[in-house]
Amino acid sequence: MKRLKIAVIMTAAMLLMAGCGDSERVISGDENQSSGGTVTGEGSAASAAAKGYTFVSQGVTVGIDMDAAPIVEGLGEPVSYYEAASCAFEGLDKIFTYNSFVIETYPDNEKDLVSRVILMDDSVSTPEGVTIGDTRARVEEVYGTEGAEESGRVVYSKDGMKLCFIFNAEDDSVISIEYQSTVLD
Amino acid sequence: MKKKKWVRWAVSAGIVLGSLYLLQRLLLPKYAADVIEGALIAEYYDEEKDHDVVFIGDCEVYENFSPQVLWDEYGINSYIRGSAQQLIWQSYYLLEDTLRYEKPDVVIFNVLSLKYNEPQKEAYNRMTLEGMEWSLSKVNAIRASMTEEENFLDYVFPILRYHSRWSELSGADLDYLFDTPKVSHNGYYMRVDVKPAENVPPGRVLGDYEFGENARSYLDKMAQLCRENDIELVLIKAPSLYPYWYDEWEEQVERFAEENGLRYLNFLELVEETDLDFSTDTYDAGLHLNLSGAEKVTRYLGRFLREQCGLEDRRGEEHLARRWEEKGTAYSRDRDEQYRALELKAGTDQPEKQEDS
Repeated sequence: MKRLKIAVIMTAAMLLMAGCGDSERVISGDENQSSGGTVTGEGSAASAAAKGYTFVSQGVTVGIDMDAAPIVEGLGEPVSYYEAASCAFEGLDKIFTYNSFVIETYPDNEKDLVSRVILMDDSVSTPEGVTIGDTRARVEEVYGTEGAEESGRVVYSKDGMKLCFIFNAEDDSVISIEYQSTVLD
Repeated sequence: MKKKKWVRWAVSAGIVLGSLYLLQRLLLPKYAADVIEGALIAEYYDEEKDHDVVFIGDCEVYENFSPQVLWDEYGINSYIRGSAQQLIWQSYYLLEDTLRYEKPDVVIFNVLSLKYNEPQKEAYNRMTLEGMEWSLSKVNAIRASMTEEENFLDYVFPILRYHSRWSELSGADLDYLFDTPKVSHNGYYMRVDVKPAENVPPGRVLGDYEFGENARSYLDKMAQLCRENDIELVLIKAPSLYPYWYDEWEEQVERFAEENGLRYLNFLELVEETDLDFSTDTYDAGLHLNLSGAEKVTRYLGRFLREQCGLEDRRGEEHLARRWEEKGTAYSRDRDEQYRALELKAGTDQPEKQEDS
């Protein structure tokens, strides 16, 4: 009888254990997990203010992991808009294309947060003054020589975001500038 | 007296193990009421396994090809072992797993996953791996797929991973405690709604267009495994417009196919031949095809399999024909129900629009 009691107590303990662990988010279908399911919550924590390197257009600051809604409202009608549903999970990755740059977002609970900003041509530049077509030397002069090599890109990490440059193999000029969230790495 | 003691031990152990088993069943995601893609891999094991063709790959296989059409129009018996964001090493081990049960004439692999060289997301890993039956292939698939935050033991005892789901349990967790409904048609996930493909963004510039070494090694292994088992491996790129498929990726796949004597079909280049219309044949703006699109593409594939791979028409096999007749009934019922639901939705949307105007 004593053993039976122990068994029941152990089972009850397991049941209680099952109720703990609030800090972990588990896989379920009713969360916005468009970009891959298990959400760590990093994005929402970071969404309030601009962090790391930011891009500015028409006086609107576009920061990685910021709430996209006021940014999109401030920038006005995009040239085009596309939304990509994920396989299986709910929520949409949204892509707003403007004349010279693109803003991509990922869903985080009720909000869409900025996951990526891509500069498309030399009519826009980073606030620090680097644009498409600049030389590697110019990038290093502005951002330093500590950029990490990652999959063919030079990456400057700052406050949980990345500013990435891709250079033309022939003349070492900048062919791509991207601001990127580390939440989706 | 000693015997009585052992009986008590056995009963106690039975109660603990039984309770843990029930608890685990309760807490595991059921993939029945939502995120049904998580149920796809497990459904295969309930099938009679004498398929001529087995598809492996990500959503670009299970949303874009219809085994029912392959049977109805070509007499080809096929199954899709697809899952959401199925990574290439998972495809390889699913192929290994499939060969434990059957040896198809043709294996079709969708090449999009070559772009991933490393483990990606736990949620997607679980949708592929949890459905696999235990074998060395599953063990290796887990080991190849785990992200840094994941533990192998969590796959062996899922209760360790899902214990905090306790607060999210719903009626569906009780309804599907022991049995879940079938969600696919031989691995095909049917959608009949339409959302035209507009403003599909071009690919952004990448720093490196070369497929990673790890991904390429699994393509090599897949080709090798097929060769060893006298299976024809056919590579495909489904006609999904997004994510972007780069010319540089295309060149690498073409080169691999040529070097290994494999057939390769890029359906993005066959839009005219398949009669695809991206204003009507996709339900999510070009990522995946709807039923109409999937049936068009499958007709082309059926002709290809018959003419190029020499697959025979098996519609004369009575037992198989009966099985597919049943499947055909479920397929038609699902299609009709989805169309009815769309009509109902259109009906309820209409008055709101009028009120708005």
